[in-house]
Amino acid sequence: MANIRFNNVQKSYGPFEAIRNFDLSVEDGDFCVFVGPSGCGKSTALKMLAGLEATSGGTIEIGGRDVTDLGPGKRDIAMVFQNYALYPHMTVRANIGFGLKMRNMDKAQINAKVEEAAAMLELTDYLDRRPRALSGGQRQRVALGRAIVREPSAFLMDEPLSNLDAKLRVQTRSEIVKLQKRLGVTTIYVTHDQVEALTMATKIVVMRGGVIQQIGTPEALFETPANLFVAGFIGSPGMNFFRGPVEVENGRAVTRFGDQKVTLNVAPEKLSGTHAIFGIRPEHMVVGDTTMPGAPVALSLVESLGTEKILHFPTPKGQALEGDTGIEGSDDAERDAQTMLARVIDDRRYRDGETVHVALPEGKVHVFDPDSHAAL
Amino acid sequence: MIDFSSPRHRSKFGYLLLAPAVLLMALIIIYPILLSVDISLQDVRIARVGADREPWTTENYSWLFNSGEFWNAVWVTAKMVLTVGGISLIIGLATALLVNQRFRGRSLARLFVALPWAVPEVVATVIWAWMLDSSFGVINWLLLRAHLISEPIQFASNATAAFFAVCLVMIWKGYPLMSIMLLAGLQSIPEEQYQAARVDGANVWKRFIYVTLPNLAPVIGVTAVMTTLWVFRDFAIIYVLTQGGPIGGTTTLSILTFEQSFSFFKMGQGAAVGVVTMIICAVISRALVGRFASSAH
Repeated sequence: MANIRFNNVQKSYGPFEAIRNFDLSVEDGDFCVFVGPSGCGKSTALKMLAGLEATSGGTIEIGGRDVTDLGPGKRDIAMVFQNYALYPHMTVRANIGFGLKMRNMDKAQINAKVEEAAAMLELTDYLDRRPRALSGGQRQRVALGRAIVREPSAFLMDEPLSNLDAKLRVQTRSEIVKLQKRLGVTTIYVTHDQVEALTMATKIVVMRGGVIQQIGTPEALFETPANLFVAGFIGSPGMNFFRGPVEVENGRAVTRFGDQKVTLNVAPEKLSGTHAIFGIRPEHMVVGDTTMPGAPVALSLVESLGTEKILHFPTPKGQALEGDTGIEGSDDAERDAQTMLARVIDDRRYRDGETVHVALPEGKVHVFDPDSHAAL
Repeated sequence: MIDFSSPRHRSKFGYLLLAPAVLLMALIIIYPILLSVDISLQDVRIARVGADREPWTTENYSWLFNSGEFWNAVWVTAKMVLTVGGISLIIGLATALLVNQRFRGRSLARLFVALPWAVPEVVATVIWAWMLDSSFGVINWLLLRAHLISEPIQFASNATAAFFAVCLVMIWKGYPLMSIMLLAGLQSIPEEQYQAARVDGANVWKRFIYVTLPNLAPVIGVTAVMTTLWVFRDFAIIYVLTQGGPIGGTTTLSILTFEQSFSFFKMGQGAAVGVVTMIICAVISRALVGRFASSAH
């Protein structure tokens, strides 16, 4: 059990800077998730923490001890790899006990600890099998067993669920969280999947291009994203964006969504320019409530998941976000800027082409600077 | 008319397509083997096409098992397989580990490691024969200069020296194959296994013992079989260097086969040696392949 600190850590490969000014403090017992699109440096950061990659600058501390120049075996950490990295020629028992054997623990003690870990992970019946005789989920649990049996001060996990099928992934996700809560070991978890990040983390670090975009709880990231990238990356489906003018009316900032006037929750003096980028989450759109000021839109597509529906409709003319929006790499990077989504939970049936009333509630609209993309 | 595209007849069509290849294989592999088994069971001096058949006899085999020459050849071959196989495995593994590292000029180093393999056997052996020459060879000169020996080693007339000279050339010629195969094996070991072992606290030596070697076992097995069979059947190196001499010191089973058949013109006995060699090779490769295949993952 330990806290983990990155102090201004840098990593460069020749002229290429993979990680810049990485500053992070993870408290004892935290479940911290590094999330970001591929190539954002999250795995590199984890490998530097593990000691598998050298840092180019800065220091790393685990439990108050500077480990920057220590080898991976001396950092008192355990790691779970994406492809599990089990030793194929060893039985499950030998795989789980390998770390203890390397530390010259005596055989009876190793065996006791392995049995205990196996019982916790329901692997007892498989202890004498080799990894190739196990299913993907079982192999994954062996990899977890190899980590927990060592009783390290931190777990490092590098996309441990990405080789599992969707159903097993959801199941294993909650198992890992439960296990971590039970053991109380500080965990750093790397994933590109923002759903995993939101559901597992107590603290999320969103990264992009080697730079930390935002650090916060899942709620904080969801409710108050620091910039356009985080806003677009976190949440599924992702946030809707549109451009709009900034006007001041009765001392309050307003913009327009089509013909509708939208009052903003931002002090007018913060909005320096004549226009800005606005975002609203699909689940915050209010559909069909004509008592609220809104605009009629024609649905271009209705995706029904039973009670839950995703309604697609065109972004008002001239308000679509074109060009470099800074949200590339998010789950819906491919999404058409011309289309907006609303997510409703409603028994009403919607038809393609139908015109519905869409309202943007006042407190739910996020405002971003059109140049820096920072949240205002 | 049979419709070969129907599921019921599809396999028949497969056999039909395979038939020419199978026939060809039978003609160029099975027939010569049967022929030599046939000759080994007859009292043949010089085999001629169309010659009258001799009656079948086991005389060649009883000569074989009662002759000192045969058992000497078995002993020489076994010693040579172990020496050449063992040392070229060590050198091959060492060079493979070396050129698997990242360093400047790595591709050039890989080329040099593989070079002896590319030199034709006879050419290489002639060069080595010159270097090993007892009166004006560079090796004796070097050893004399370094005061390691007081008089030149007679590689041609000293049986032990001749044996090790043959082994030396065979190792020089044989280790690159080991090296190339093991390098391919090393490259197929996932990097994550090494990373996991490092996080688990395994040092370089333990990573070699617990990750590299077990992962290489199947490749080592296959390469050991190939090298063993190569030593069994190699003829050129020994014949060019020593002709099997002195006094049988380097006469392996393949040299004995040749001697019996073409020096003494006892083709029946020669064929018997060949057949026994083939059986030994089959047994060894079956044992080694089976053993390493079961340890493979």
